Amino acid sequence: MPRPSNAIDVPDPERGSFNPNRPPGLLLQAQALHMREALLKHLEELAFVLAIDPKSLKTEGDVSAYIHRATAVLHTHVPRPRRM
Amino acid sequence: MNAGLNNLKHIVVLMMENRSFDHMLGGLSLVREGGKQKYPGINGLTGNESNPDAQGNIVKVQPNAKFQGQLDPDPDHHFPGVDLQIFGVPPGPGRVANMQGFVKDYFQQTNDVRRSHNIMYYFTPDQLPVLSTLATQFAVFNGWFSSIPGPTICNRAFAHYGTSFGQVGMDIFYILDPIPSIYERMIQAGHTAKIYYYDQQSSTMEIVNLLKNQPQLFATYPQFIADCERVALPDYSFIEPCYNDHTGDGGGEILASDQHPDHNVQEGEKFIARIYNAIRTNPALWETTALLIVYDEHGGIYDHVVPPQCEPDGYSAKPADTGTGEAFNFDRLGIRVPAILVSPYIPKGTVVPGPEDPTKGRSFEQASIPATVTNFFLSGDVKRTIREKNANTFLDLLSDQKRPDADIPYFNVKG
Repeated sequence: MPRPSNAIDVPDPERGSFNPNRPPGLLLQAQALHMREALLKHLEELAFVLAIDPKSLKTEGDVSAYIHRATAVLHTHVPRPRRM
Repeated sequence: MNAGLNNLKHIVVLMMENRSFDHMLGGLSLVREGGKQKYPGINGLTGNESNPDAQGNIVKVQPNAKFQGQLDPDPDHHFPGVDLQIFGVPPGPGRVANMQGFVKDYFQQTNDVRRSHNIMYYFTPDQLPVLSTLATQFAVFNGWFSSIPGPTICNRAFAHYGTSFGQVGMDIFYILDPIPSIYERMIQAGHTAKIYYYDQQSSTMEIVNLLKNQPQLFATYPQFIADCERVALPDYSFIEPCYNDHTGDGGGEILASDQHPDHNVQEGEKFIARIYNAIRTNPALWETTALLIVYDEHGGIYDHVVPPQCEPDGYSAKPADTGTGEAFNFDRLGIRVPAILVSPYIPKGTVVPGPEDPTKGRSFEQASIPATVTNFFLSGDVKRTIREKNANTFLDLLSDQKRPDADIPYFNVKG
């Protein structure tokens, strides 16, 4: 679609506005705390998978279940399988 | 149903951070043309609103707001602070909500009388061409309030769940009751829904429940732009701005676009314009999408409208949690925030009356978001709070008439 000639210009922030050294406010501090809490689930999941000795897997079914769990830890956008 | 509703396929919500209605849009009421108010229906500022400062001086609202560097430290917007802002005095018998405690509260943080006046500053419409244009070209709400007189996390929870499950602060909360998020409701019913956060450095403010347990609901801002281009938006989209200044994956400077003090307000204007343009420039999407731009809460900044009472949602926050020494039963809304509904089916210059109009006025809040999405897309018995069931919805603002394309603004955004 062609851009209309009566378009409204949106000004840029002043140069020098970027400041990653700004101290984090309470919202960002809370976000980081929430992130940490969320990660604990992954730690628990990772510990569960790492506790399984791959050499103990006796069947293709056992191996596929293990690989499923490991992949799900690595690819977090894929829903996790239920624990057996 | 009218044409606007018949054509509607997508609802998009962009939730910004921590600015009050009067701070961002109150100046529209002071614009004059031909000796009269240009936007008479908007319940903004008269210029005479005031608060006492710590020395008892009267501090009027002033058009002195700056894009950055003025609201540092971050104004208090936690429950006890907002309580003082609304009532002007600490909890006690007989007090009345009067919106007289903003300067007092900011003085407690700054310990500087002059700086405490900054909380009364507002932007002029020409400073905010995007928000002001959208507010005057589409529908602006005179009565959209944050759900809780408190901070971000609990208010955003109302947008996702229609309740904060009793939380009034920033603490981690868990879903104790079987109330699914609006995204879960949609997906369970065979619809599509996504939360688009800016990037992984910024991420989401809905972490512990949705990001932790349902990561498939999330995508990023570049994906939103791509989904707009392909006309592949989900039925319901919730967009989160960038919450911090950081270096991008390619090494570039990425500014926070959430407008949370003390982040640059102009960067937020650019972000709003980009979201709008992404929908506006695709005719198939433009005709079928309603975009709500709303702020989660007021961020401690002055607004003159007393928050109304509301339907309790069945929860109660204990005195130890509110920090005021009193329990809170979720029976009063938080402070008013900017909210604008955009669609080609909204008549130009629509103003949705709020509490200032005792006959036609309606109050909206963040629970109005899942209430609207649920009522439009879903049928049957959806498990949700009484608060959400009774929340006002906003799609009745869509009309039968599509506005001509030449009548619709477009924004030139660099970068």
